[in-house]
Amino acid sequence: MSATITLGRRALREAIRQPDALFMTMFIPLFFLVVNTGQAAQIFPSDSTDFLEGQGYGAFQLPITLLLAASFGMAALFLVEEIEGGYFDKLRAIPIPRYSIVFGRLVAEGAKGVVLSSVIVLLALPFGISIASGPAGVVLLVALTALWGVVYAGFMQLIALKTRSAAAVNSGGLIFFPLLFLTPNLVPRDLLTDPMEVAATVNPVTYLMEALRSLILEDLDWGKILPGFAVVAALGVVMVALNVRMIRRYD
Amino acid sequence: MKGPAVWAEGLVKRYDGRDGVVEAVRGVDLEVRPGEIFGFLGPNGAGKSTTVRMLTTLLTITSGRAEVAGVDVAGDPDGARGRIGVALQEAGLDPRQTGRELLVLHGQLFGLGAAEARARAEHLLALVELEEAADRVTKGYSGGMERRLDLAAALVHEPEVLFLEEPTTGLDPASRLTVWAELRRINERGTTIFLTTQYLEEADQLCDGLAIIDRGVIVREGTPRELKEELRIRRGNGEEPSLDDVFLDATGRTRDRGEGEVQEVAA
Repeated sequence: MSATITLGRRALREAIRQPDALFMTMFIPLFFLVVNTGQAAQIFPSDSTDFLEGQGYGAFQLPITLLLAASFGMAALFLVEEIEGGYFDKLRAIPIPRYSIVFGRLVAEGAKGVVLSSVIVLLALPFGISIASGPAGVVLLVALTALWGVVYAGFMQLIALKTRSAAAVNSGGLIFFPLLFLTPNLVPRDLLTDPMEVAATVNPVTYLMEALRSLILEDLDWGKILPGFAVVAALGVVMVALNVRMIRRYD
Repeated sequence: MKGPAVWAEGLVKRYDGRDGVVEAVRGVDLEVRPGEIFGFLGPNGAGKSTTVRMLTTLLTITSGRAEVAGVDVAGDPDGARGRIGVALQEAGLDPRQTGRELLVLHGQLFGLGAAEARARAEHLLALVELEEAADRVTKGYSGGMERRLDLAAALVHEPEVLFLEEPTTGLDPASRLTVWAELRRINERGTTIFLTTQYLEEADQLCDGLAIIDRGVIVREGTPRELKEELRIRRGNGEEPSLDDVFLDATGRTRDRGEGEVQEVAA
């Protein structure tokens, strides 16, 4: 555990020393928030759109912004860089649990996720977006976003460990990315066309998005919140198991 | 240390490649005495790196047995890792950390307390003459500085056996001599050094014992003097052969074929 924390601190230091990467992580999701809200706000006026629960369309779009920011982690690319540069082998030659090498990066991704999602929520407040579920809801919102960032980074690390290629990690990101959009990200699920509704229903990210959206637009509604945490927990268990297996078999 | 510093018997590594099974190492036996500087030579693709990576727990062993500092590499890999230092061909450094941070991190990962890790880092930075660059991120280091920091990182836990892969490849002659001097200092303090190199003069200058590997098997083993003497007697022409001659004879290469693979530097 101490090796995981030590390597997590190192990964955080690494992130801080790469501010351009952090800037892009924030910029692109906020860009989508502004553009999507600007394009659709007049179609969905807050006073006559029930699913907005009295807020503007920006509040409805905030979950995809948070999920995008959490999915732009650099952990897998930094890992590939270390594999290619030889530092990964240097760490593998130290008597520490090998899983700590990948888990250290995930700890850092979690910490980054907390900071990034908090900043995005703070930036959203002046634009009239409020968190209807209150302070407890804010904590849950930030926690759920950060946990998603950890899970997503974990799956990207699997690609890094398997392929040891930056190009493959980037391509892998493109494969996972559509999952973020096969969701009710523009309108609620019951307003989607039938094929899109089916796709969204089988996509686990939908439940995550609906949990985040519920925290923003409504009082605490555990019926919507818990499925989001359940999805992250289930994917997290799979991700951890696969990462441990992959690094133990790394040769 | 009781017994050999490095010992291997029947070491084999097979890979499943696209064109079938590749046998990179085909039954290597080795014995390195404690306190020795041992050179492991061979042409490109002969199996040097694969052997070193098996001995340092970075590759699984297909068959055979290996021990470092008396610890079974496959049976107790963490025990082995605690007793060895490793600096591979690519100077494995984290480009976003300073030299000092990297050494402190490694100290902590090897179980040292924060204060002890800092003190060890200071000592090692002095040993490899990197005090002035200690607080710069390693991304800006020259090739020689990277090599020396990598060497320092491999020494942070005071290993009994130090594995070095091509420690001077790509260095200018001055940096190469600095690394040689550092290796001698480290060895004088009792650390066994197992190094691979393509520079035969380096092996001649530094090594007490040598093994030459070719196509996955050991083809010559002995001290530099023994190997040269054996070739001189076999040739029977009275001329003192160089280690280049031994290498070329052992690997069945002519000087023409060996060009580009056998390189030398002036001491």
